[in-house]
Amino acid sequence: MLKDVTFGQYFPGNSLLHKADARFKVLILIEYIVIVLLANSAYAVGLGLLLTAFLMVFSGVKIRLLLKSVKPLIFVLVFTCLINLFLTRGSGAPLVDWSFIKIYKEGVRNAIAMLIRLLSLVLGTSVLISFTTSPLELTDALESLLSPLKKIKVPVHEFAMMMSIALRFIPTLIEETNKIISAQKARCADFDSGNIFKKLKAMVPILIPLFVSAVRRAEELADAMECRCYHGGKGRTKLNVMHAKLRDYIFLLAVTAIIAGVVVLNRYDASFIKNLIKDLVF
Amino acid sequence: MAFIEARGVEFAYSPEEPLVIDGIDVKIEKGSYVAILGHNGCGKSTLAKLLCGIVAPTEGQILVDGINTCDGEQEFELRKKCGMVFQNPDNQLVASVVEEDVAFAPENLGLPREEIRKRVDSALATVDMSEYAKHTTHKLSGGQKQRIAIAGILAMQPECIIFDEATAMLDPTGRKEIAAAMKRLNKELGITVVTITHYMGEAIEADRIIVMNQGKIIADGTPAEIFSKVEQLKEVSLAVPQVTELLYMLECDGYQMPRGILHAMDAAEVLTQKLKK
Amino acid sequence: MNAIELKNVSVVYGEGTPFKKIALNNINTCFPQGTVTGIIGHTGSGKSTLASLLNGLLKPTSGEVLLFDKSIWEKPKEMVQIRSQVGLVFQYPEYQLFDETVEADIAFGPRNLKLPQEEIDKRVKLAAEFCGITERDLKRSPFELSGGQKRRAAIAGVLAMQPKVLVLDEPAAGLDPKGREEILGGLIEYKNTYGATLIIISHSMEDVAKYADNILVMNNGEIYMQGAVEEIFLQAERLFDANLDVPQITKLFIELKKRGLCESSDIYTLGYAKKVIEKLLG
Repeated sequence: MLKDVTFGQYFPGNSLLHKADARFKVLILIEYIVIVLLANSAYAVGLGLLLTAFLMVFSGVKIRLLLKSVKPLIFVLVFTCLINLFLTRGSGAPLVDWSFIKIYKEGVRNAIAMLIRLLSLVLGTSVLISFTTSPLELTDALESLLSPLKKIKVPVHEFAMMMSIALRFIPTLIEETNKIISAQKARCADFDSGNIFKKLKAMVPILIPLFVSAVRRAEELADAMECRCYHGGKGRTKLNVMHAKLRDYIFLLAVTAIIAGVVVLNRYDASFIKNLIKDLVF
Repeated sequence: MAFIEARGVEFAYSPEEPLVIDGIDVKIEKGSYVAILGHNGCGKSTLAKLLCGIVAPTEGQILVDGINTCDGEQEFELRKKCGMVFQNPDNQLVASVVEEDVAFAPENLGLPREEIRKRVDSALATVDMSEYAKHTTHKLSGGQKQRIAIAGILAMQPECIIFDEATAMLDPTGRKEIAAAMKRLNKELGITVVTITHYMGEAIEADRIIVMNQGKIIADGTPAEIFSKVEQLKEVSLAVPQVTELLYMLECDGYQMPRGILHAMDAAEVLTQKLKK
Repeated sequence: MNAIELKNVSVVYGEGTPFKKIALNNINTCFPQGTVTGIIGHTGSGKSTLASLLNGLLKPTSGEVLLFDKSIWEKPKEMVQIRSQVGLVFQYPEYQLFDETVEADIAFGPRNLKLPQEEIDKRVKLAAEFCGITERDLKRSPFELSGGQKRRAAIAGVLAMQPKVLVLDEPAAGLDPKGREEILGGLIEYKNTYGATLIIISHSMEDVAKYADNILVMNNGEIYMQGAVEEIFLQAERLFDANLDVPQITKLFIELKKRGLCESSDIYTLGYAKKVIEKLLG
């Protein structure tokens, strides 16, 4: 079951986005979120969509996989759209007026805008970070970006080390959980019947061994790390140092320019959507 | 001078508990290949932790190449000289990617990047895992994971590696891989190898076997010497290779048999001569 | 009578995807009641998959698993009954211990079967006896025990269900010779007392030679060889071809046979080997 989730999974590859510096990708993601939230007018939204499309192409990730990552979110998307569609009260006459259902053109507008925003956020994060950045690159990038905070005694290195170890042990612990579940099932444990409290109680024979084993693993890992001269982040060097290339700067600048573009286009809130709806309806 | 020297070492996990290590004096020479043999719970794993300084002795002292393992100031020097490979392959890999894991120790030592790269490549080549450099660690087999762990220690360029039951959780294929690696480290690179085990097959490969029981050393010698003492080993619940035991049983029945025969081929040779007479 | 019979059983993972993997391919075999069968083969040869088929933890993609001539998938709702009859002990079972005392942990299986309290107590005591767990240890926390004792407690937890068939995946892995003998000896005693059927997966040829009546050799998801112990070890060459081993004592006799000094090489226990040599020496 856990294997089917593609959202948040790394797919090794060799695309432009795979090769881009992870630090820049984090910065660009922040800019991208700003763009998506800021874009208001039809032109601005169009510009945002264009950027999303470019990112999708640059990531080299198959469209089928991208759609699969959206699939678990369909319910949320549809639900937010419907809420916006039905609950927005507009000024003019409703477009649809059938018993208690009233749909205003503002509602249609909000629903479309929300759909585009949510979809863009999911797709953008997927192609920029999760699909194209290995967890290790990501932690390294965060450690590097947050390193100024070391000056005010924030344990940035420790935080990043914890995160990368956690990522390293996730597959191990998932495997272990499955093993323990099988072992307890072999002792006739029942995880499926009964009410919620019974089900929670049935988890105890899984959680305790899992916890005990995680503690044991942590102890052994600490010994192993000590044996390999680990002594915190001080004086530590790195095998893979991140090198920003010219194209990373260009990429960042380009996206910054798009923010400016969105701000400008927002001012020209041409009645594009209004006209569109008019054309469609009348 | 011996590379590792333990003098009157005692150890207990807390003052109320019985001694796990009860008066051990041992010298391990540089470049030697030593197996420490004993049943579960005889104190052999604790001895391993003492030898590389993860725990400090309650009594007595241990010198590794002249460094006292309790000397906090030289901790780094000690760790660089003497590495340790643990039992559970999953619990000693730090990174998700093979080469990142091997680089962990040299990164901690603060070596320049080119040097780290050089050491990682050569360590991976030594354990025959170069082609896996970019692979994720959790999908490897147990034997492969253990080889990565060895490479991670090799990257510190230690003079001695202690294997704490490093093959106990592996299948026969994995066990063979690790045994071959140990032999290569010792014979080709001249690294002092200390392996803690209860597998006879592995102990036979060493040049010297130390047998432990209840925190004490009860026998110390070459494999042939050690395995000729069949009764004594059985007393401390250890087994001997089947052919050794067969010849011993024949001896008990009054046949003249040589002692210390460990391999099937040697036994066949002995029996051939007896039968042709 | 056959305790368990497998008819044309196949297990395929990821059918219809590029990751399709045939774990077991058309397995036909049986485990006669009251016998000990040793299953040998490399990691990934399908041994463990086979084990989880026997108590219904895994459903075969095709084919039938029969327990005393009845398909175990006939009434999936009564799988608990099947699991209480076919006890399955996984590799490193000590990692499934969870309860406050050893006694309570061993009682987990019988409790799940909703047996009366007296019956549970009786079974716990019996199971503890077979596994060599002392009265004092029963009252202790399972996490205070030594590695070997934990292993025994975990095996007792399955024995307490009094299964008619007992499947064990490497029950003695990592234990010293004395520990191996105690555990395997206790299992044989259980088998003899209840006329149970034992199926032991093992990497140790010496253990299989010593305890098993029949051997099943798995290779690449298929049955490579099956038969009585002496038949299998007589075909040492075929085992070597699959990169498997024979007991050291058998190797000795293969060599002696090559040299024309003895006639048979199907010798795999020390006692018999001694007799043969003594006869040859006259």
